[in-house]
Amino acid sequence: MSLKIHVRTTVNGEETEFLCEGRQSLLEALRDILGLTGTKEGCNDGNCGACTINLDGRIVDSCLVLAAEAEGKTILTIEGVASIDGLHPLQQSFLEQAALQCGICTPGFIVAAKALLEQEPDADEHRIRHWLAGNLCRCTGYDKIIRAVLDAGAVVRGAK
Amino acid sequence: MTTTADRTTKTNRKYRVIGTRPIRHDGHDKVTGRAKYGADIQLAGLLFGAVLRSPHPHARIRSIDTSKAAALPGVKAVMTGKDLPEKATPPGNFMETLADPQVLTENVMARGKVLYKGHAVAAVAAVDRHVAEEALELIEVDYEVLPHVLDVREAMKPGAPILHEDLRTRTTAQMPGDTPDTDGPTNIASHVQFVQGDVAQGFKEADAIVERTFETKPVHQGYIELHNSTASWSTDGNLTIWKSTQGPFIVRHQVACILNLPPSQIKVVPMEIGGGFGGKINTYTDAVAAVLSKKTGHPVQVVMSRKDVFEGTGPTSATHMRAKIGATKDGRITAVEVNLTYAAGGFPGSPVGSGAGTCLAPYKVENLKIDGYDVVVNEPKSAAYRAPGSPQAAFAVEPVIDELADKLGMDPMEFRLKNATRTGDRQASGVPFPSIGCVEVEEAMINHPHYKAPLEGPNRGRGVALGYWGNAGMNSSATINVTPNGSITLVTGSVDIGGSRPALAMQAAEVLGLAAEDVHPSVGDTDSVGYTGVTGGSRTTFATGIAVIKAAEDVRDQMIKRAALVWETQPEDVEFKDGVFTSKKNPEDTLTFQKLASRLMGTGGPVTASASADPKQVGPSFSGMIVDVEVDPETGKVDILRATLFQDVGTAVHPSYVEGQMQGGAVQGIGWALNEEYFYGDNGVMANSSFLDYRMPTSLDLPMVEPVVIEVPNPGHPFGLRGVGESSIVSPMAAIANAISHAIGQRLTTLPMSPTVVREALVNGDK
Amino acid sequence: MTPFRFAAVSTVSEASEMLRADAAGSRLIAGGTDLLSEIKEGIVQPQTVVSLQNVGGMREIVAGTDGMRLGAMATLTELEGHAEIRRSYAALAEAAASVATPQIRNVGTLGGNLCQRPRCWYYRSAAFDCRKKGGSICFAINGNSKYHAILGGGDCVIVHPSDLAVALVSLRARATIAGPGGERSMALEEFFAGPQVDIMRETVLQPGDVLTHVSLPAPSPNWRSVFMKSRERQAQDFALVSVAAAMEVADGAVRDARITLGGVAPVPYRVRQAEEALQGAAVASVDPARLGEMAVAGARPLRDNHYKAPLASNLVRRAVTLLLQDGA
Repeated sequence: MSLKIHVRTTVNGEETEFLCEGRQSLLEALRDILGLTGTKEGCNDGNCGACTINLDGRIVDSCLVLAAEAEGKTILTIEGVASIDGLHPLQQSFLEQAALQCGICTPGFIVAAKALLEQEPDADEHRIRHWLAGNLCRCTGYDKIIRAVLDAGAVVRGAK
Repeated sequence: MTTTADRTTKTNRKYRVIGTRPIRHDGHDKVTGRAKYGADIQLAGLLFGAVLRSPHPHARIRSIDTSKAAALPGVKAVMTGKDLPEKATPPGNFMETLADPQVLTENVMARGKVLYKGHAVAAVAAVDRHVAEEALELIEVDYEVLPHVLDVREAMKPGAPILHEDLRTRTTAQMPGDTPDTDGPTNIASHVQFVQGDVAQGFKEADAIVERTFETKPVHQGYIELHNSTASWSTDGNLTIWKSTQGPFIVRHQVACILNLPPSQIKVVPMEIGGGFGGKINTYTDAVAAVLSKKTGHPVQVVMSRKDVFEGTGPTSATHMRAKIGATKDGRITAVEVNLTYAAGGFPGSPVGSGAGTCLAPYKVENLKIDGYDVVVNEPKSAAYRAPGSPQAAFAVEPVIDELADKLGMDPMEFRLKNATRTGDRQASGVPFPSIGCVEVEEAMINHPHYKAPLEGPNRGRGVALGYWGNAGMNSSATINVTPNGSITLVTGSVDIGGSRPALAMQAAEVLGLAAEDVHPSVGDTDSVGYTGVTGGSRTTFATGIAVIKAAEDVRDQMIKRAALVWETQPEDVEFKDGVFTSKKNPEDTLTFQKLASRLMGTGGPVTASASADPKQVGPSFSGMIVDVEVDPETGKVDILRATLFQDVGTAVHPSYVEGQMQGGAVQGIGWALNEEYFYGDNGVMANSSFLDYRMPTSLDLPMVEPVVIEVPNPGHPFGLRGVGESSIVSPMAAIANAISHAIGQRLTTLPMSPTVVREALVNGDK
Repeated sequence: MTPFRFAAVSTVSEASEMLRADAAGSRLIAGGTDLLSEIKEGIVQPQTVVSLQNVGGMREIVAGTDGMRLGAMATLTELEGHAEIRRSYAALAEAAASVATPQIRNVGTLGGNLCQRPRCWYYRSAAFDCRKKGGSICFAINGNSKYHAILGGGDCVIVHPSDLAVALVSLRARATIAGPGGERSMALEEFFAGPQVDIMRETVLQPGDVLTHVSLPAPSPNWRSVFMKSRERQAQDFALVSVAAAMEVADGAVRDARITLGGVAPVPYRVRQAEEALQGAAVASVDPARLGEMAVAGARPLRDNHYKAPLASNLVRRAVTLLLQDGA
């Protein structure tokens, strides 16, 4: 199909445009068109959360959003989480708590957890487990990830 | 509960760096999305490859017509098995591979027959992934469908569909009558046997005997990253492959075999790897991407779909097992008989040998007989999965031990401790154990508050089980360069799956008196570092660690010579301690490592050192789990209330990542115990080839898992390390089965123990 | 995946017209979590995907004196978190919260959840040309039927996958459809159609029809509801069996009751016999276990799903017990 769709979005704070096919997912657009390979493909079917991004303030599986649906929307990917001043508390906490092993699921977890802490920096273990239930990790058993989010929450709310 | 929060606390007072918890060196790139995994590589002119897979579990390929696919606009090349050399040729040395090269070729792309649903038969390269997938639909394969067989017991029966006409049983059986018929075609690829003492006499001496049969389903490693290969075949004949793999040198060897190339013509560049657990050792799409690249003159990337991963890459074996154990009233095991039958998948090579070798490791047994059968069936070729073969066998032995303890009225841990193996005891194979920590693990379990904590309420139960993995040594190489500011770069051939960069860097730092942060570790490609075996077998921190230590010692010795040169004295007159060189003759003459590093150019040039390791004194790792469960008797749902995992790790280099290995293995075990399985339809097609239907545990399905690190140093490593990666997955299935049986009063003997299975056991009684 | 055109329409009638004009080649997309899975597997190959995301008003959730009006494009997250839904229609909030994952609930919609295709693994795999795809075999009947129907199956033994449907049927929801002939509305349970009606679909929607909203009647003060879902994983899982019960209890008697089961039949399955037994019954006289047994009367389990009938009975018993306690 040669008729491409022109999409205008804001990605990690930058106004961005791209051309895509109707059948291309937002995950493909981010990785293959925009070169933002920090967002990972694990199943391409919404069952692992490795491709989690923040779309207009909500976490979504970017493999289950069409690229064309991003028109006019605001996107945050893992590449936009750290600032020029340094890591986000979650990123720092993931490092300190050894909350990653292979690291392939880490971008999805951090983007998802960031959205939680923005709403509820005092989220407890159970709440965090609920919120992150759409993100699979096969290496850690989740233990250290949950602790890292708890710890980052304390930093975000100024308790640590 | 142990936490990693206090990173400054040292767990090991003997060392400066070992036992601390520095931030991993690759961490920043991995939390910011900058780390490049295999599928993240982007090259000019990159084409995308896709693989057509067999819809039948067993069929003869009559013909393949690729003309329509080749004509689709955007398609650049099509290939079939005929594009691979007929005969795989091993290129001499460094034959370290887990599979027969000819099997590799046939598994990479079928020629005469397809042996499982998902077996690759053709591939295309196109301008993008969608066009490539469309092209696959246009390839016409004419199959003669053959009867198939999935179940190992069916496959062993006379008259079963035969997968390989030329297959004959390889046997190590020792007892007359045990040797299967090897004259005609068979699906039994091999029969291993271990015999010690007199089993019949042993059972006669027993006051109680328990015998049960067990069954497990295939389960997948379940790494989140999809298999990938990106290949570029240059006009000069050199081939570069970028990929996620546990062993770049193994890939080089495998591809060299398949394509009949000298290994020197192939460079494998290991990208970051998103989990492997044993499943990213065998080559699948590398030669395919290479051939497509050669045909098109472009680099070609192949990324499997999740369905391809489930259907085309190794799960671990389904099994049928029987265990019979006898003991005296006072709790002494008198005899054990174990029969293990493992499904190999479409080609020989299940881990039944490891199952047979490990299943009795925790017990000193005089009279034993273990038989293991490797049986081919029409399922994907099985691949290594964390302590391959051992978890299944433990699921056969540990529940029988538990039931026997019940029968004898003994505490299950006391019974185990009474029969525990010690250093020097004979293993099932007859080889004596090196230094081991079996007793230490068991004592730690008995003395842990979890074991003593009350567990009240109906439908709750506590279970224990032990696990064992022998770990591997193999070969490794490392290179260290000293930088002008006195830090070092460290290149090894070991892919970092779960924190081996810091664990290796810390060993170098320990030798050289540096901080972990002063070491800059990286993973070399196959052209830039010496041969190194897979990151697998729990060997990396141990064996590559030894290569790193040797290289660091070489650097230390060279630096001592430089200091001697500076002070115009002899090297033996220079002392080196905690990163500072001191002249013994004139103790005021001191140079820090950093200071001396800045003077290398005037004292003989750069300091660089390479070393390789071939360690033989590998430290095995015992482990165990205590687990509390609650069973909902109406739904059959099992909730894990509390889980504690114990493991002898020798010496914990980076305790956080050691704990991580323990927790990760424990949770893979929990998934295996409660949910995970391959469901096959009658047509031999896997019905649940998605993460949704395969059901790996989510964060909501689990409690925190407490790791209890036990350190019984391994004399075969300068710092006492044992491998830690695998042992943790061995005990959970059995521990959970034992816990469930204590909760509901029924013994479960099949995996997974999903709600439906538990419900049925409750309704139908003991099975 | 074959190429398709992405068309974001701005009105329902525009969508309706496009769907009617190319009934075979066009598909409606709301959140897309179900449709894109089907397209990726190759079991649906649309020429045009018609998106409702720019249609004004379809996402609104409005509470009024006569009940609630839920726009079909409202997301599951919005339903789950809505104060009035949590207060007066608990079963719906609980059902919405039980679906899939946070990521999917953030895009998945009410309409999409009600119109999603079955999760039967034979239907979902291109490797099986099952009856729902125009083939001649239901592979589950003689195959692995662990997750299939025990009631009302027949030639196709799917279970209806929607959690919301189970809750909404018990909550007496009505569905409103805009179609080529104008708007029509019906009790939600009549919105679903089993394989006996048409094996190729699960709803009464005809080409050009768009589900626009669902309405809920005003709650009475004594009205309570609950949703329970048994599953193998605590997230990312469809129901083995689910139950939604809604009951009005006043002055020690059950005034009105509705019980609907999910995961047991090709449609949300109302347990009428149990409902009738409850009608007017004194709370003290109700035997929840007996109601549970009634719920699965006539069940015909397949090879691998014998567990479902007792599971459904137990869930009904638990739900009724809970509501009677709450109401007391």
